[in-house]
Amino acid sequence: MKRLIATLVACMLISACTTTHTQVMANPVKPAAGARILVVDPDIQLGLLTASGMTEPKADWTEQARANIAAQLESEMKARAHAYRLLDPDDAMGGRSGQLMRLHGAVSASIQGYGYALPTKKGAFDWTLGEGAQALGAAQSADYALFVRGVGSYASGGRVATAVGMAMLGVSVPLGSQQCFVTLVDLKTGRVVWANFTIAGPNADMRETAGASALVKALLKDAPL
Amino acid sequence: MRGSRLALIAAAAALAVLPQAAQAQRAAGLRPDSTSLEGGIWGSADKAEAAARTKADVNHDPALNAYVRGVTCKVAADHCPDLRVYVLDRPAFNALVAPNGYVEVWSGLMLRSTDEAEFAYVLGHEFSHFAQNHTLVAYNAAKSRANVALAAKVAIAVVGVAAASGATTASEAQSIMDATGNLIDVVYLAEIAAFFRFSREQEAEADLLGQKRAAIAGYDARSAAQSWRSVMAETQASDFKRVRESRSRTSVFESHPLEAERIAALDKQAPSLPASSDRGRERYRAAIRPHLSAWLRDDLRRRDFGQTLHLIDRLAAGGEDLGVLNYYRGEAYRLRRGDGDLGRARDAYLAAAAQPDTPLAAWRELGDIRKRDGDAAGARAAYETYLAKAPQAEDAWLVQDSLTSLDKGS
Repeated sequence: MKRLIATLVACMLISACTTTHTQVMANPVKPAAGARILVVDPDIQLGLLTASGMTEPKADWTEQARANIAAQLESEMKARAHAYRLLDPDDAMGGRSGQLMRLHGAVSASIQGYGYALPTKKGAFDWTLGEGAQALGAAQSADYALFVRGVGSYASGGRVATAVGMAMLGVSVPLGSQQCFVTLVDLKTGRVVWANFTIAGPNADMRETAGASALVKALLKDAPL
Repeated sequence: MRGSRLALIAAAAALAVLPQAAQAQRAAGLRPDSTSLEGGIWGSADKAEAAARTKADVNHDPALNAYVRGVTCKVAADHCPDLRVYVLDRPAFNALVAPNGYVEVWSGLMLRSTDEAEFAYVLGHEFSHFAQNHTLVAYNAAKSRANVALAAKVAIAVVGVAAASGATTASEAQSIMDATGNLIDVVYLAEIAAFFRFSREQEAEADLLGQKRAAIAGYDARSAAQSWRSVMAETQASDFKRVRESRSRTSVFESHPLEAERIAALDKQAPSLPASSDRGRERYRAAIRPHLSAWLRDDLRRRDFGQTLHLIDRLAAGGEDLGVLNYYRGEAYRLRRGDGDLGRARDAYLAAAAQPDTPLAAWRELGDIRKRDGDAAGARAAYETYLAKAPQAEDAWLVQDSLTSLDKGS
């Protein structure tokens, strides 16, 4: 009996490592050395997945993960040959810049929602904010913008216990998972140059420094930066 | 295996804890710990507030904002420093106080309140949800219900029967979309609606506490029931059968029960509260007067002309602002295009034209209708009045063109 439970717990907890799914636009223009990258403060929302499946928002985890991811993004950017600066989105939500920030939110939601390509685009990764994105570049003195959004939940003890019990009865109960989505936008043309979707593995817990580091490394894998 | 099944059933039963009892009023100036559930709910509300603050339909008129903040503070008393008030130009009857203390007041509510006392009552009602921690209680109750449902599912799985339960959130999101005519960001609405799914008991409690707060602030307690009576009357005036048969479709959040019992409870409590006859009708009207025209134009976008006309009748009852009100009455008839509506629109524009506060467009519309009726002389007089009063209007050349075509036709 005990061995059965242990095996089941192991099966559920040891999933694959952090997985990534990157997409690059056709004929990408790699940002030149010294290009100015605007790193928008990551938008993170984490919660606790309770036994019955309701998610409780967790402000402390959210803030910890936001700070961790922001710090890791900064250290990754330092290691590269680009100028960068961080932007608190609350400082850019007014006027034309604010409209572009919201437009990016809508476009990136569509990229995720349609699985990287619109049905009419025949599988091509072809997304743009339009040339109006230059207004954001001009306002922030930047050539590219990097956006990171993360959502996720962590299973509570009760949830894991429920999953174990239900698995014994042949019913699968999902445990929490965390995902990050990153986009790099060319602020001259408005095009989304590159995007990556990451599902965090067990060693990429963004609430901890080491986990956030692993997650950001996976996130920026293959980035044309 | 038999032993473990029994253990599972016991565990499932243990999950089904009882809902929390109603909590006492929160103290002023309280900030929850960020590791708590309430801290988490505040964090989400902070994000909704950041989104609300930068919406294009935030009304930035300093005089209006100062007025709304003043009334909010009267009913919120000690909690005033905890609240941040945003007035949004949205044509639905709604206000909310989020769990973190940010307040949304929609123009549709301000347009529909007859006086300051009714407005204060609705703010008092919404504030009471905040003061009684209703969001937290509702969340915990939902969690208990979900745990009960889970316990049932575990039990069902034990006997080998598959269970399925349907979520109701999709239909709720749909009803919000219907009520607001797709004017507003649905994702954002779904987020705030998640905070405001209060139970009937919570609504009843907020009704009575809101009335009490308004009365303590010096308002006539009888106006509370009056504000719901007006909402019900407007629901009945709708062009659409579906709306007339619904309980409260002018409210975005369907959780507000608007049955007679709710009004009866307010009528019953009124005599026990401090007596006052202050309704603040004049000062309320003075505060909303500069926005009447823009808000009525927004209301027409809902395309429920029966409700808009009912609302205009109510606003016109005191004989004020008849130029603006008659102009929009004309607009409602003109846009509705039912049998005889064109004649009604012409009469309304005419009534507007006799008033000092009429929008100049009344003469242009009057000219168009008279032209269509074949009244060339009348149309010419109306167009010429429009051009004389508004020579710099963007569409002056169009009206000039209509005048020229009248000349050719005659």
